[in-house]
Amino acid sequence: MATLTHHARVHATRVIERREVAAGVVLLRLDAPELANATRPGQYVMAIPPSGEAAATALAVYEAEGKLASLLFFVIGRRTRELSALDPGDCLAVLGPLGNGFDCSQRARDVAILAGGVGIASVLLCAQRLLAAGKRVRLFYGAKTRELLVDAQRFADAGCELILTTDDGTLGMHGRVTDALAISPPPEMIFSCGPTPMLRSVARYADELGVPAQLALEETFGCGVGACWGCVVPLTAASSQAPGFPREDRRGSDVVHARICREGPVFWAHELRW
Amino acid sequence: MVIVRPSLAVRLGALELAYPTLMGSGCYGSGEEYAPFADLSKVGAIVLKSVTRAPRLGNSMPRLVHTPAGMLNAIGLQNPGIDWYLEHEVHKFAQRPCKVIGSVAGFSVDDYAYVCERLAARDEIAAVELNVSCPNVESEGETFGCDPSLTGAVVRAARATTEKPLIVKLSPNVTDITAVAREAERAGADALAVINTVRGMAIDVDRWKPRLGNITGGLSGPAIRPIAVLAVYEVARAVKIPIVGQGGIETLSDALEFFLAGAAAISIGTANFTDPRIPERIVAELDAYLLERHLASLSSIIGKANVAFSTPHEYEGDEG
Repeated sequence: MATLTHHARVHATRVIERREVAAGVVLLRLDAPELANATRPGQYVMAIPPSGEAAATALAVYEAEGKLASLLFFVIGRRTRELSALDPGDCLAVLGPLGNGFDCSQRARDVAILAGGVGIASVLLCAQRLLAAGKRVRLFYGAKTRELLVDAQRFADAGCELILTTDDGTLGMHGRVTDALAISPPPEMIFSCGPTPMLRSVARYADELGVPAQLALEETFGCGVGACWGCVVPLTAASSQAPGFPREDRRGSDVVHARICREGPVFWAHELRW
Repeated sequence: MVIVRPSLAVRLGALELAYPTLMGSGCYGSGEEYAPFADLSKVGAIVLKSVTRAPRLGNSMPRLVHTPAGMLNAIGLQNPGIDWYLEHEVHKFAQRPCKVIGSVAGFSVDDYAYVCERLAARDEIAAVELNVSCPNVESEGETFGCDPSLTGAVVRAARATTEKPLIVKLSPNVTDITAVAREAERAGADALAVINTVRGMAIDVDRWKPRLGNITGGLSGPAIRPIAVLAVYEVARAVKIPIVGQGGIETLSDALEFFLAGAAAISIGTANFTDPRIPERIVAELDAYLLERHLASLSSIIGKANVAFSTPHEYEGDEG
């Protein structure tokens, strides 16, 4: 994966725009030039709820261009509800950019991005980077229902070939992104972000067809900066992302626990032991 | 006019700290993780994540659940073991602009003594915290801290290995925390950390399963603050050694509660996950608070609310 950034710091940003792009899905655009400049595809921030009454929450950086960085998220709990109530002009402190993002420098020319639900927030920068490098990019984008396929047109405008799926069949193929992928010509590489069951399904496909896949994992974070070890994933000790320290002596096991926030959130599917 | 800033320096046994704020074990990594977001030179000391004799993989996921006004965790003491730690990690702590306190966990009295001796022998380590109260390991982890005589045995064994200050971290999951505190003091502890997390559990009602991989966990954050304040109050009346108060401290007001209950210093843990600027903010506000009241040092307020239960309340203002 791309190497750890050393540009992380506290950014005091200001909200430029808040828009409900679908029921319960909010786009928060921030005036954050340094963050926008430092963020690489697949990285995230810890957003500090201004009330100070809840832990910071991890959100992918959706757009990063010029002075603008944005967050796209589902309103699912107290913390995201508070963030969704911010108005233009309000301040929002974020820590970031954090984590190791997607490795977009790989040689593959024909790639697929698989995004499930709000996982789309992690892949816009990735798509832009891959397209700029002249690759063919197919976006398999799935959601529960038509309205939740937010901002799909934007990916098409950028040059992605769009394959849409919905769980209820209201738009695109009736089914899951992995169903759509299974009946398409295999790509040379996969980039994916979405709910864990979907990522497991992507990992199975990648394994069966021998396609290398980079998965951005979702998890509940404590600190988000690597301090608390609350968000680990079992990984083969042979992985370059495995923490370098000794393994507990469990017979026959080559597994170590890597932090999703620090060593990840993007991992090679074939190195996960989940 | 010359403004004389109040002194925020504290002593925990022979350990001298420029600020009364410790960063709680397991919540601050080794400090390096937070260096981009916080000024570590404004921190009293970092208490490192606990280290054990052998490497530990830690508990299975999920390890964290956010709960009302707090967080449940069950990490399970994931760490590389003392050998690797001494060889690859400890030398880095020399670069920290604040004191660094090691933390030791174990599964036998001998474990504690062995790891404590090797860790305390290093110059980078200013003091050692004995974690006799981790609630998240399969056996014995917390047993030591729940039994006064076992706590005494661990502290005596560790005491025999080093002259560096020893802080003993107490569990709130006991009937009488003062009995454990007295035994730790008698066995040679220089200070007590009060309290570790409170045992708790959360259940996923959709899946009909516990939310934590370890089933049970330790609760931290503002939810446990009143429990912690009472524990500090009680322990302060039971022992003479200094207390590091901890449990859900997020603001100056929270910190003052602990100082007034009798804590000589405070430790900030989960609040760093809310906002890593909190420790520095509390120190700045504490400085202003003391200055405003013409108090020369923090020591002037320690234990000032620790009145005996029998003292009748003095009512202010009108009654009735």
